[in-house]
Amino acid sequence: MLKRIEQIIKDHKEISGYSICESRIEANELFFIKKNVDMDRAKKVVHYKVTVFLDHEEGDNKYKGSATTNIEPTMSDREITRVIGEAAFAAGFVKNQYYPLTKPALAYQSLPESKFAKESLPYWMNEITKAVYKNDIYEKGGINSCEIFLNKKYTHIINSEGVDADELQYEGMVEFITTWKEEGEEIELYRCVNFSDFDADVLSDEVKTMLEIAKEKAIAGKTPDLKKIPVILTREAAIEFLRYFYTKSKAEAVYNKISTWRLGENLQGEEVKGDLITMTLDPFLNNSTASCSFDEDGFPLAAVKIIEQGVLKKYIANTRYAHYLEVEPTGTIRNLLINSGSKSYHELKGEAHLEAAAFSDFSVDVYSGDFCGEIRLAWYFDGEKTIPVTGGSVSGNINELQNELYLSKELRKDNDFEGPMAVKLLNVTIAGVE
Amino acid sequence: MKAVISDFLINSKPLIRKLIDMLSDSYLYVSVLGSDTRGKSYRVSKTVTEVKDIAFAERGFVVRIHNGVNYSEYSFNQISEESLGELVDEIKVKLGKVSKDISVNSYQVIEEETIKKSAFGELEVNPEEISALEIIKGLTEIRDSGLAYSDLVANFEVDYNAYHISKIYISNKKELEQSYHLGDAYLFCITRNETNTKKYFRSFSGKMGYELVNELKGVAAEVAEQGIALLEAKPAEPGEYDVICAPEITGLIAHEAFGHGVEMDMFVKNRAMGAEYIGQQVASEISVMHDGAAAAEQMASYLFDDEGTLATDTTVIRKGILENGISDLLSALKLGTTPTGNGRRQSFERKAYARMTNTFFEGGKDSLEEMIASIKKGYLLDGCYSGMEDPKNWGIQCIALLGKEIVDGKLTGNLISPVVMTGFVPELLKSISMVSEAVYLSGAGYCGKGHKEYVKVSDGGPYIKAKVRLG
Repeated sequence: MLKRIEQIIKDHKEISGYSICESRIEANELFFIKKNVDMDRAKKVVHYKVTVFLDHEEGDNKYKGSATTNIEPTMSDREITRVIGEAAFAAGFVKNQYYPLTKPALAYQSLPESKFAKESLPYWMNEITKAVYKNDIYEKGGINSCEIFLNKKYTHIINSEGVDADELQYEGMVEFITTWKEEGEEIELYRCVNFSDFDADVLSDEVKTMLEIAKEKAIAGKTPDLKKIPVILTREAAIEFLRYFYTKSKAEAVYNKISTWRLGENLQGEEVKGDLITMTLDPFLNNSTASCSFDEDGFPLAAVKIIEQGVLKKYIANTRYAHYLEVEPTGTIRNLLINSGSKSYHELKGEAHLEAAAFSDFSVDVYSGDFCGEIRLAWYFDGEKTIPVTGGSVSGNINELQNELYLSKELRKDNDFEGPMAVKLLNVTIAGVE
Repeated sequence: MKAVISDFLINSKPLIRKLIDMLSDSYLYVSVLGSDTRGKSYRVSKTVTEVKDIAFAERGFVVRIHNGVNYSEYSFNQISEESLGELVDEIKVKLGKVSKDISVNSYQVIEEETIKKSAFGELEVNPEEISALEIIKGLTEIRDSGLAYSDLVANFEVDYNAYHISKIYISNKKELEQSYHLGDAYLFCITRNETNTKKYFRSFSGKMGYELVNELKGVAAEVAEQGIALLEAKPAEPGEYDVICAPEITGLIAHEAFGHGVEMDMFVKNRAMGAEYIGQQVASEISVMHDGAAAAEQMASYLFDDEGTLATDTTVIRKGILENGISDLLSALKLGTTPTGNGRRQSFERKAYARMTNTFFEGGKDSLEEMIASIKKGYLLDGCYSGMEDPKNWGIQCIALLGKEIVDGKLTGNLISPVVMTGFVPELLKSISMVSEAVYLSGAGYCGKGHKEYVKVSDGGPYIKAKVRLG
């Protein structure tokens, strides 16, 4: 099929370049209610995504037009010819600043083999199930429902410059709801765990942690009106908060006016009282569904430091945006590593604070730096005692508080992220419900 | 004109019937949903122009069987006369083989009525017949008028997505087919001064063709003006306020507060507090809320859902009383209720769940002017940014793009942003005290279940006055 598509593209003489991404996915899925399977699903699909490029000039200006289309495996040659012809026609009216296509690499570093490659998908579905339900042993709470997905995904990218890269990856996902009931109403919490390798302890421990958090939420009181005491973010909210530094460092964001960050800039300001951010991207992070030898263009990936001690050292740039900003390409790497901070988790909690463990949806606006989220569970420490609280919200602006934030010494890994398990912020607005 | 269904799906029908016949030798129930969704996504900004297939483009099938105990599904996108036997063998090998260590829920076999129906949506201008040149040119003119508004506009983007959806559903008793066009569009601006960067957008949507783009014309300056005004917006002082929700926010509340809360697969899992409140007062007496693919003509209007159930119009809340939930086929089977045509999939590759379609509050008798005049200190909330459901505990989180300050019954011109609205659903809905007449629905975004399974929905309603907590 790939050769068929490539030949049809070559028959369109107006096309000056192309890339084709083939992905073949086999998957098994189980859907549980409590501990019983409610439905099982399987799938086997193949997809082709084709981008055609047309170089054109107007006066002294050089442009690269492009259009992307899907080719379905059930398409006839006539259909493929039609959709590629339509894409080529559209590309002729797309006037983007010129950029070169990715050149072939001498070699690609291989991903370490996942344990999932050693047995069949149904075998691993059973192992994942056992790991997930291992700690579902409590009387007052447990897993209400759970969905387990395991994909075996083969990706093959070729382009007109000679790029030819392929890779086999595994993508696991467990989405589960934990519930707990004490004296009041039963409560629930949501969690989704992504992984590329089998680690039973990661899954079992996460279920246990979520059950413990659910138990706390079941006895939580209403969040009081706390005004502006320090807020400690953990878990998914800490990751979302720190991911702001990733998004703002992208060359694409700078080119498209979303980010104003400049190389060499002290991102957190000139007078920083707290910890400075150091951020590295590692395409080979262990047990991450984002780990990959090459990016969407077939560009070979390697670990790279983006921010060092609060200073932007490199933009995260694929071939196109690196050319636009006249910087070295890093390729698109999605694994994010943030260095640990100066204080232990225990030290961060030394004064009165609100530690938020779960939000409905912690939202960060990459344009303005505004962040907010409704509290599903937090612990309020008034300087003497700690109580679980729920309801209300926290909000603030990263740009206004990043000159004094504190990162924990302890690290936490969650799929494509490894970084401080806790981030302490000052000047955050807490809207209580009491 | 009417939408034309995919030739591929029509030509595949004999093969699909053969597949169903072959599988029916082994299984008591077999059905196949076929989907062929095409469409283009255009994006024109100051810096980039992009043309690609829409994110939901797909062509493939999902077969559902009763495996003797419950239901199993297999998704595939390759089929031919020659490979049919191989496909049947693969389905038999892969489905219904859950490990003996794991217990399973049982479901009765679906009883279907014999039915054959077709529906083809109306549209004025078929986007497939408009050249890329014309579309890019039209969007570029709109972009340029946004960029020209002020130097404070750092970037201005115009997005247009054209969807052409074709689906067939075939079982031993049913043969259904439908095709229709949808369109959605965004005007999106980034504004920047020395200290702030803000975004503002306006969205457009409809079950229609390229005529949607006409609605974008002449609006770019308004979007830029509002984006610039946001640069001076202040954060909300936390507290409880009288607010007026614009239709987009009314829709967001309908969607997050009670839409997700009455998805009946959540009843099966004991994940929805709504199950215990059927027949009880959950909102003020002037509140009437609907959901249904047959309840309105918008982004989620269709003849049949992704399980072959015909669309309906469900009255969820009538005069403040919670009356009905919305249901997929298997949840209805489990609960002994009637399916409402809300079984929807993100794609043929995904499971069907109970999902919303067009969700909205009915209009009332008040005017917007009367509503503003009735507020001593509060805000008019406008522009939907995001929301998150909590069907189990009825918490709600809605984020609006902005709030327009109202003091002594008049808009002051001051803005707050961002606007985070949180609260307990029945408290919020019971506080609805005024409702305007006209109802507006929109659906340019997507609805997820948890953090995945995205489908197109619409929501809306009139302007409503309520008491909410802002943070």
